[in-house]
Amino acid sequence: MRRPLLALLSAAALLATTAACGGSSSDSGKGGTDKVTAGVIPIVDVAPIYLGKQQGFFSERGIDLTLQTGSGGAASVPGVVSGQYQFAFGNVTSLLVARDKNLPLKILTNGVSSIGVAGKDFGAVVVKGNSPITSAEDLVGKKVSVNNLQNIGDTTVRASVRKAGGDPSKVGFVELPFPDMPAALQNNRVDAAWVVEPFLTQSISQGARPVAWNFVDAAPNLTVATYFTSERMLKEKPDLVKRFTEAMNESLAYADAHPDEVRKILGTYTKIPAEVIADMTLPKYPTEVNRASVQTLADLAQQDGLVKNKPDVGALLSELG
Amino acid sequence: MTLVTAPTPGRPATVPTVAGSAAGPAQPLSRRRRGLPNAVLGLLGIVTFLTGWEAVPRVGLVSTQFLPPASAVLRTLADEMGRPAFWTAVGDTVVAWALGLAIAFAAAVVLGFVVGAVPALRAFTASTAEFLRPIPSVALIPLAALMFATDIRSTLMLVVYAAFWQVYIQVLYGVADIDPVAEDTARSYGLSRWSRVRHVAWPSALPYVLTGLRLGAAVALILAVTAELIIGSPGLGQSIAVAQSSGATADVYALVIATGALGVIVNIVVRVVERRLLRWHSSVRGEVTV
Repeated sequence: MRRPLLALLSAAALLATTAACGGSSSDSGKGGTDKVTAGVIPIVDVAPIYLGKQQGFFSERGIDLTLQTGSGGAASVPGVVSGQYQFAFGNVTSLLVARDKNLPLKILTNGVSSIGVAGKDFGAVVVKGNSPITSAEDLVGKKVSVNNLQNIGDTTVRASVRKAGGDPSKVGFVELPFPDMPAALQNNRVDAAWVVEPFLTQSISQGARPVAWNFVDAAPNLTVATYFTSERMLKEKPDLVKRFTEAMNESLAYADAHPDEVRKILGTYTKIPAEVIADMTLPKYPTEVNRASVQTLADLAQQDGLVKNKPDVGALLSELG
Repeated sequence: MTLVTAPTPGRPATVPTVAGSAAGPAQPLSRRRRGLPNAVLGLLGIVTFLTGWEAVPRVGLVSTQFLPPASAVLRTLADEMGRPAFWTAVGDTVVAWALGLAIAFAAAVVLGFVVGAVPALRAFTASTAEFLRPIPSVALIPLAALMFATDIRSTLMLVVYAAFWQVYIQVLYGVADIDPVAEDTARSYGLSRWSRVRHVAWPSALPYVLTGLRLGAAVALILAVTAELIIGSPGLGQSIAVAQSSGATADVYALVIATGALGVIVNIVVRVVERRLLRWHSSVRGEVTV
């Protein structure tokens, strides 16, 4: 999940290449089907879009959807900005940071949300079974791994620490890919790790113990990630954007109502072992973006210095969301 | 190849001749005698390596969660090889590799010969080339991701950039190494400019060109897998990334082995090509007879 870093690196390059790769969006045809490419990450969070494609929610709206899985979402924000992707999936903090760098992105609809209940969420801060750490407050002065520094992981963990009465500025964060975290924890390279599924289930099965539910602590029913597009798409193809959003919402509602089918489709685009798929906690897929929680993430981003200016949440959310 | 007809003066003198003309017919025999134990030793080496790999997680030195035993990984690899998705990924990687290498090779050979033949042009471009050459191809990842997202063009951009310099520099050396006596001889025999390129410059530079191809082929594969792994363009690298983000450790190792095997195959193929094209050359003749 290197979106913010890439967005930053790309911003300068973008200025040079905007002219070159301007209207290279691949959709075509009037009245027929529109060819659409969406950038996703091969993780649990995007199961609804795979399910919706399989169920024909996109094709019945005249959208021929191709899903491109970028590793860790490296290509999501730049892909949408340059027009290689018409739509993509990205976490809210990444989009707030991208927007702060003046990248013209708009959130269309919800992507994935926290379950909102401590002890039942799909992401948590875990420690080794024999660790003296028992609460978020104990993380002060300790080394905590997150998948990306200056992103949704560390800001929400800081929110947990703050809520528990600790000084969040004294938590040491290190960057590690999620898949490496269970091993890092076992070998004492970090004191605690913020992990999401399937690594949460995997860590707990290896004896790790959750001590903080950062998404739950940050805001009630936090919207973690969303589907977004560019302002240019919104202006040039408002009808296509509307149809995509409707199809996406139908997919989200379908996924939320059919957890068994979510588990089944996970086997098609990920390699998560079958026994883990059966056990792991699925996130929530509401269709509504929780605006209050986006505002909270914006405030946290500003408080922690991820963004230079006060984020304009209204500008990031499209009227469709 | 009609290269055998190349005039003898065109034979590069400075390419190291491994074996002198002393290499007699007795040599191949001794090589064969040594060859057998070598093959057995090599096999033994692999078996020892696999046994060690099998043992380390089994005795609990490393958790099987992080390093599955060799048998489990090989079984996973066999499973993978039974899936069409695996072969699609292999195909994507091979296509990106071959296409990228071909583009880089063609561009480098043409540019190398043109720039190498004109001293002024060479001096004019030298500093720029020396500046661009050390830029690691991976530094272009943000640019590739921005311009082409997860399209195959992202992979090609990295592969072409990396492989180009490997070949280009070799071509420049090759062109610089043309024997002036051979060149003058060809001139005084009234060979046209094209004939001189064809019969003097090309065979002189060919060993260098093919060395560049061999280096470029290896680098191209590394960059193809890197681009797929980091950006997510289709291919084996992307499959590794998916397996990794799924916590499917055995799959990760199995796919890594597959990329290794691909590397071995690529190297063998390029070496065979090199030997065939250079079988007239003393370095290869020496290598064969030693």
